[in-house]
Amino acid sequence: MRAADTSAQRRPGWAAWLLLTPLLVWLLAFVVAPAAILVAYSFAERDELGRVGFGFSLENYGRIADATYVAVFARSVGYAAITTAICAVLGYPVAWCLARASENWRHRLLLLVMIPFWTSFLIRTYAWITILKSEGLLNGLLLWLHAIATPLELLYTPTAVIVGLVYAYLPFMILPIYGSAEKLDPALIEAAHDLGCGPWRTFAQIVVPLTLPGFYAGVLMVFVPAIGMFAITDLMGGARVPMIGNVIQDQFVGQARDKPFGAALAVVFMLLFVAVYWLLQRRAAEREPA
Amino acid sequence: MNPFRLLALTCALLAAPAARCAEQLNLFAWSEYVPQKVIAGFTKETGIRVNYETYASGEEMLSKLLIGGAAYDLVQPPDYIAEAMIKNKLLRPLDRSKLKNLGNLAPEFLGLPHDPEQKFTVPYLTGTVGIVVNTEKVKEPIRGYRDVFQPKFKNRIVVVNDNREIVSWALVTLGLDQNALTPANLATVRPLVAEWIKLVKVFDSDSPKTPLLNGDVDLGVVWSGEAARLIQENKKFSYVLPAEGAHPYVDLLAIPTTAKNVAAAHRFLDYVLRADVSKLISDEFPYTNPNAAARKLLSPEQRANPASYPQLEKFNTFRDIGKAAAGVDKLVTDLKSAK
Repeated sequence: MRAADTSAQRRPGWAAWLLLTPLLVWLLAFVVAPAAILVAYSFAERDELGRVGFGFSLENYGRIADATYVAVFARSVGYAAITTAICAVLGYPVAWCLARASENWRHRLLLLVMIPFWTSFLIRTYAWITILKSEGLLNGLLLWLHAIATPLELLYTPTAVIVGLVYAYLPFMILPIYGSAEKLDPALIEAAHDLGCGPWRTFAQIVVPLTLPGFYAGVLMVFVPAIGMFAITDLMGGARVPMIGNVIQDQFVGQARDKPFGAALAVVFMLLFVAVYWLLQRRAAEREPA
Repeated sequence: MNPFRLLALTCALLAAPAARCAEQLNLFAWSEYVPQKVIAGFTKETGIRVNYETYASGEEMLSKLLIGGAAYDLVQPPDYIAEAMIKNKLLRPLDRSKLKNLGNLAPEFLGLPHDPEQKFTVPYLTGTVGIVVNTEKVKEPIRGYRDVFQPKFKNRIVVVNDNREIVSWALVTLGLDQNALTPANLATVRPLVAEWIKLVKVFDSDSPKTPLLNGDVDLGVVWSGEAARLIQENKKFSYVLPAEGAHPYVDLLAIPTTAKNVAAAHRFLDYVLRADVSKLISDEFPYTNPNAAARKLLSPEQRANPASYPQLEKFNTFRDIGKAAAGVDKLVTDLKSAK
């Protein structure tokens, strides 16, 4: 034990740095540098073509405080939260069953979770349009069954957006929970039963705490990208309500021609990520000693 | 894969660009706007390979051109973007001696305010923004924006997802200049735009014909080429230029100052100006073709399509509005948010 401790604390030698170099270069070039450029842009001014000019200004951040953009941020977070909640409720039992299935079945079922990734995300979204549209498959089926008299308005509604988001992000909830659940030693559950725990108590006191890291990872992997998603809101929501992703896109390549403002929105957005990540990490850390 | 084969493959990949050093032309144009036939035909005739890169809005094109990652030899700006590019010296004057087919263009599309001397740009296709009606579902006559945006048509309307367009419709409806996007005018049109936005079911610039075809909506304010395709597909659709004032636009071809292969760019320009080539463009994208010689080659049915060739009184295009665009964007974002 002591030996392991000292070796872990030893300063890394040149060979370790050499091995790390590609990763560090990659991080610098594709994470640190772009983020720094974004931060610099967000304090800049623009010319009439939307180019970023010299000059320092806090105006961009001042504009974010405007009720319009606060509402957009709040809506994006709201949609992402609903999506995450539904993904968790649907994904947890699926992940659990996957992890408990016999080895043979487990691989086949996992494959089914991954298969959608073989097709382009946009094509799968168009498939949903075919299902949900007024003269679409779902309405056709319901009409044929005489369950409804007139076609339901499904596409281009907030419900359609949530359906699209849940569909897109569900695998990202299932896979990390599955990772945690698979590692859970069944002997622990047997032990709980032997010691007189009922199924509910076993679930709440043994299963949930032990799969929590996977659950938190899943929440992060669904919530964070769902906030910024704009293709689904455009295609399935009819672009009726702007999300933060739409607004940022509009500043950079859309009609607003206002990169500094777009950069400021993106920086606030990044800070939001960091805050969510930090909160989840803290929760996880608090759990650890217990 | 064994390491030697991997190495060999890498070398082959690296060597590939050197091996095919044939002349190239970098074309940066709207997606779904330059037929593959036209590009293939040009390569076959000249041996020049065309790299066709696409964008979804004039602003996106401008933004990518300004970043300067690639040297585009030809770009395809809409009128008001071309105006801003000319103002900021981003376009190169054309060598007319190399454009023998320039005479094919109809005079009404030349000398427009974005390029009054026609020094920098060549019209490619033009169009209007107008009203599509599914006459099986909407029986009453629709003449203008006021007829479309009625409470009884709530959730039955698609419009292009273009903030400036919807604001300009409100401006002309109130008798104001569509290009006067001043803060005062924006405040004036705000209540009207707010009312309209509440009635719209879908905002879609890429394919506004889709919700009309799918039966999700019955009315649309869309690009004329989209309307023309709907009419080709089903005669139940009709196209109307808004009585309050229609907005015509011109998409142009132009050579940026940063272009590398200016000679090839001129050859491509002259090629698409040829009547038989321009006809191919019309066959695939039924917008208004400014090429008079090409129009003669179209079928009577193509020429009779009311969306492709409407009766237009005034050619009143969008002008560059510079920084005012941000105000328009905020207004529409705000109103969409509020609903």
